[in-house]
Amino acid sequence: MIFKCKNCGGNVIYSPEKKGMYCPYCGSSDSQERTMEECDMETCPNCGGQIPVEEHTSAIICPYCDHSIILNPRVEGEFTPQKIIPFQYSRDMVKNLLREKFKKNIFAPTDFLSDARLNSMTGEYVPFWMYDYRTGCDYQGEGTRVRVWSSGNRRYTETSYYNVARSMEVQYQNIPADASVRLPDAVMDLMEPYQYGGLVDFKPEYMSGFQGEKYNMNWDMVESRARTKMEGSARRLLQNSLGGYSSLRTLRQSVNVLDTKAGYNLLPVWKYIYQYDGQTYPFFVNGQTGKVVGKIPISRNKVLAYGLTLWLCLLGISWILIYLVGGLF
Amino acid sequence: MDYDVKKEARRQYLHYFRILFPVLGVMVVLLAVALAVSSRRGNGEAPQERVYDYADVLTDQEEESLRELIQKTEKKVHCDIVLVTIREPMEGEEAIRSNPNLRHTDWELNMRDRADDFYDENLFGYNKVHGNGVLLLDNWYEGQAGSHLCTTGSVYNRFGDWEIDQVLDEVYTRVEAGNVADAYSAYVRYVGRIMRRGISGGMSALAALVISTLAAVIFVLTKMKGEIGSNTVTENTYVAEGSLEMKEQKDEFLRKNVTSVKIESSSGGGGSHGGGGGGHVSHSGVSHGGGSRRR
Repeated sequence: MIFKCKNCGGNVIYSPEKKGMYCPYCGSSDSQERTMEECDMETCPNCGGQIPVEEHTSAIICPYCDHSIILNPRVEGEFTPQKIIPFQYSRDMVKNLLREKFKKNIFAPTDFLSDARLNSMTGEYVPFWMYDYRTGCDYQGEGTRVRVWSSGNRRYTETSYYNVARSMEVQYQNIPADASVRLPDAVMDLMEPYQYGGLVDFKPEYMSGFQGEKYNMNWDMVESRARTKMEGSARRLLQNSLGGYSSLRTLRQSVNVLDTKAGYNLLPVWKYIYQYDGQTYPFFVNGQTGKVVGKIPISRNKVLAYGLTLWLCLLGISWILIYLVGGLF
Repeated sequence: MDYDVKKEARRQYLHYFRILFPVLGVMVVLLAVALAVSSRRGNGEAPQERVYDYADVLTDQEEESLRELIQKTEKKVHCDIVLVTIREPMEGEEAIRSNPNLRHTDWELNMRDRADDFYDENLFGYNKVHGNGVLLLDNWYEGQAGSHLCTTGSVYNRFGDWEIDQVLDEVYTRVEAGNVADAYSAYVRYVGRIMRRGISGGMSALAALVISTLAAVIFVLTKMKGEIGSNTVTENTYVAEGSLEMKEQKDEFLRKNVTSVKIESSSGGGGSHGGGGGGHVSHSGVSHGGGSRRR
């Protein structure tokens, strides 16, 4: 489907700034009309150009006419997301964000933040499975408390031993694990946390103007990642409840899942792929919170130029100072 | 608009050093002015003569070549270099009787006063009257022979006890070996060598080098940080609000034991070095440094 403008026929897209549908051609708001032509997954229904649809692609921008095409079969039926967090950051907002954030990174290559490079950014809705858990945690161990005092010329150490036991139940909501093969798991984990207050019921309109994927894997295939996150949290919660001891010896500790539920949602991510010196530097920006993850490229020439300049200036200034203060007056 | 990477890189570079470059520029101008001022002789009141051979231990030819050497060296190091040879008593009642200006009975103090007074009264000093300069007073009086080095201004700042000793050593060993003219030219050469090196300021220049290098290295290292984005998920991020329910919490005292040890008890110190060897103020009020050695 394509969202066309009732007023001018242009492509209506979702605008994060306006938080609504917007026609960049005539400036109308909420003027979208859904075109229902079937898409054959190979050609653009607007211009007939070849579109590079991959196995999981659910939304794509036509490289010829720039229209945003949403592939109906991949956002419907079993692939209908329950919820979506719409983009809060527009392309321009991400550009400003990156420029502000990397202003001090003087060793980055000069064109790293140039318009030409930053315009290649793509906004993508990433498929996520989100898991709810009801978890039971148990702990049993032996704790010590130590008290030290001095009397006369002797130091006394008193060690008290305690039998420590905890049993608690905790409810987890929406622990995310991305269901996209292309995106590195470690990076997607760093994109967290999303603010779940922004989750709304899915409507394909939100995808207009962005790219997207349907889930690549079923919920049971990525569940282990969410479970690991849950277990880590449960253990820390247990630890937090064990304050006041000088030392603890764990005798028994267990984390049990009492109940699980999974949901399929789409979350927004901006992707900026920067090529430098034969290497690829991918940057990911959380499309809702603006959190940035990536590795900044370093220009060796800049390191040399700036480092040497600073060194020579400092040396020059200090030597002249020493000469002027000590040598002459 | 055409995006010129080189031009943009240059703009960023100049912008980044927009404070440091002008500061360096001002320092260079100050240095140029200071050099111009210091290299100009600022004292027209001192005599042209530098070699006063009252003891008559040098031939006319030796004196002449020494004058030439001094003239050449002075141009390089911007300080007056004077040699005075005498044959006068400097010790005991004999000294005070022969020279009413001497106030002590001690050889070393008298040598010092004699050298200081000669420098002060003749208004030596390269940059100004009583300014930068050095004077070697060499006494040939039977049984009271020896030399004293008097330093003033930049030479005083540069010469510590160690440098003064070096000069006296150079002179002593050569005079003992009978090479008098060579001894005095060694003195002039040594002063020239040290004062030229002295321009860099010795220890503090080295310290500045080390500090600048460290600062540049630290600067580079702090800016090399590349990884962006850390884990900001906490153990509570996905916990449903108020869902944490503690079903059992037990801290049950089991037993205790007490041990004791005897308390033992236990302390340290340090020291420092630089220019300004033998500093004092002459009775005409000029700051000199110096040191002497008897033969």
